Amino acid sequence: MNLLELNGVSKVYGSIYALRNIDLAVERGEWLAIMGPSGSGKTTMMNIVGGMDKPSSGTVILDGVDISKESAKNLTAIRRDKIGLIFQQFHLINYLSALENVMVAQYYHSLPDEKEALEALERVGLQDRAKHLPSQLSGGEQQRVCIARALINYPALILADEPTGNLDETNEGIVMDIFKQLHRDGSTIIVVTHDPEVAEEAQRTVVLEHGKVARIVAANGEAAAYYEK
Amino acid sequence: MFTALLAVAIGATVLSGLVTVYYDIPRQMMREFRSYGANLILAPSGGAASLPAGEAERALRYFPAESVVGAAPYRYKAAKINEQPFMLAGTDPAQARKTSPYWFVNGEWPQARGDALIGQNVADTIRLAPGGEFTLTGLNSEGEGFSRDFRVSGIVQTGGTEEAFIFVSLADFDGLIGETGEFDLVECSISASADELQGFAEQIAEDVPGVTPRLVRRVTQSEVTVLAKLQSLVYLVTVIVLLLTMICVATTMMAVVAERRQEIGLKKALGAANRSVAAEFLGEGMFLGGLGGVLGSALGFAFAQTVSVNVFHRPIAFQPLFIPATLAVSVVITALASLIPVRSATDVDPAVVLRGE
Ligand SMILES: Nc1ncnc2c1ncn2[C@@H]1O[C@H](COP(=O)(O)OP(=O)(O)O)[C@@H](O)[C@H]1O
Ligand SMILES: [Mg+2]
Repeated sequence: MNLLELNGVSKVYGSIYALRNIDLAVERGEWLAIMGPSGSGKTTMMNIVGGMDKPSSGTVILDGVDISKESAKNLTAIRRDKIGLIFQQFHLINYLSALENVMVAQYYHSLPDEKEALEALERVGLQDRAKHLPSQLSGGEQQRVCIARALINYPALILADEPTGNLDETNEGIVMDIFKQLHRDGSTIIVVTHDPEVAEEAQRTVVLEHGKVARIVAANGEAAAYYEK
Repeated sequence: MFTALLAVAIGATVLSGLVTVYYDIPRQMMREFRSYGANLILAPSGGAASLPAGEAERALRYFPAESVVGAAPYRYKAAKINEQPFMLAGTDPAQARKTSPYWFVNGEWPQARGDALIGQNVADTIRLAPGGEFTLTGLNSEGEGFSRDFRVSGIVQTGGTEEAFIFVSLADFDGLIGETGEFDLVECSISASADELQGFAEQIAEDVPGVTPRLVRRVTQSEVTVLAKLQSLVYLVTVIVLLLTMICVATTMMAVVAERRQEIGLKKALGAANRSVAAEFLGEGMFLGGLGGVLGSALGFAFAQTVSVNVFHRPIAFQPLFIPATLAVSVVITALASLIPVRSATDVDPAVVLRGE
């Protein structure tokens, strides 16, 4: 069964079509990459899939529920229970420690559990940095805190928008290793990226252009080839 | 956030200061116009030291019975407590209460024999509190020594020389000093116009030889009006200050919400319900209000004290109840002022997080 299905999804801003009639299915446990030039609708699609925005038309089925017409209140619950978000800008709360940043997600989900939050930091290799503020962490470390926060409530779907866009090669490697581990553990992952190497790791790459799916390529080097054109 | 705290603190300062002054002004004014109660005094004529009780009664009969609010006879004699000299006054407490309504009594007026109402100075000097006991010594009218125990029923503040007096019932006074059937003076409170009073006084002066009536200026209607106007002014200023505080808190909170748009969006993206977002901001606002309220109560008292000392030349009584009241008002005001900012915080779209700035 598919975890996610988009059927004829469009998003219109005034006269601009950010997304135009998208059809897409993502299987449980699949690792999907989304590529495309700037302004092609990648972020818009992530917002709609993650329950942060609604399509102008079409339906979005997440885990058997049509989230395209849900109320704001229900969407909040869906984000809380089903979605893990990883950002290019990390978006850590600057006055909270790494551990507390992870616990924020627990707090809104159910109850903060320090032990569990520490375990999540351990999984991304940051157990020694638990008490550090974001400003005391490197970019790569901040991104790993962000990943720990995204994973803490066992989301059905992990959405990452340019997760390695602000990282150097070493940290990109560390983050990609974490993604690979998540994939082996059975997580469903959608990664937006400009980096062909990152896309290569995914099973399929969806290429967006002008709000439309230009093509879908399997992980056999074609994505890199596409992007170099 | 600091600006908002400052606004609340200043608001609370002005508020508690004004209310304290507002509460104290009437009392201060009463003290300034001490003659609010008695407007006529019956004094002995010519060189006499006292006036016979019968003459005083005769004089009082010149007034229509219903116009006599009170008539308090007084006898005075020097006496001592612990070798400290004070003035002992014998009076009819029930009548004295009517002719001196502005007296501020902490405790009770004398009711039984052996009760004494002592002035604030006496209480301070001898360190007496209501319910305390003291021994009064002195010489009676025959020149013989006496010594007797009294119980403090209350302590009186008048803003005048009475604060160095010890008031007892005439019966107690007569028992100690000796009954003479004469008074040193009689304070009267008569409800009559100034002209009528003048007429009565002239008639008594003519008809009753032992008695010299003296008119005392009373608080006039216009002075009462000024007082009322002053109070409504304080009301007005208080309301304006509260409004300004609210506007300042609201704009600061709005700025804070705008500044934290990304953080709010993130929390909503993580699944924070509107209720949680609202509770966080309201809680922050109310904490701010509480802190500002505490600062304001302290500063407000200092402010009121300064005003009172400079304008009325006397210190203000500390009102413990004003602290929780100021606190409550500050918290409510900040909560109200936070409503619109909280609303805009819950309106933040979680999609802003992925879109970035
Ligand atoms: N809130 C918005 N209002 C108006 N236009 C928007 C808004 N968000 C996105 N767009 C437009 O939609 C298109 C797709 O944007 P986006 O999804 O951010 O692209 P990408 O993430 O691929 O760079 C762009 O043309 C962008 O200008
Ligand atoms: Mg984008």
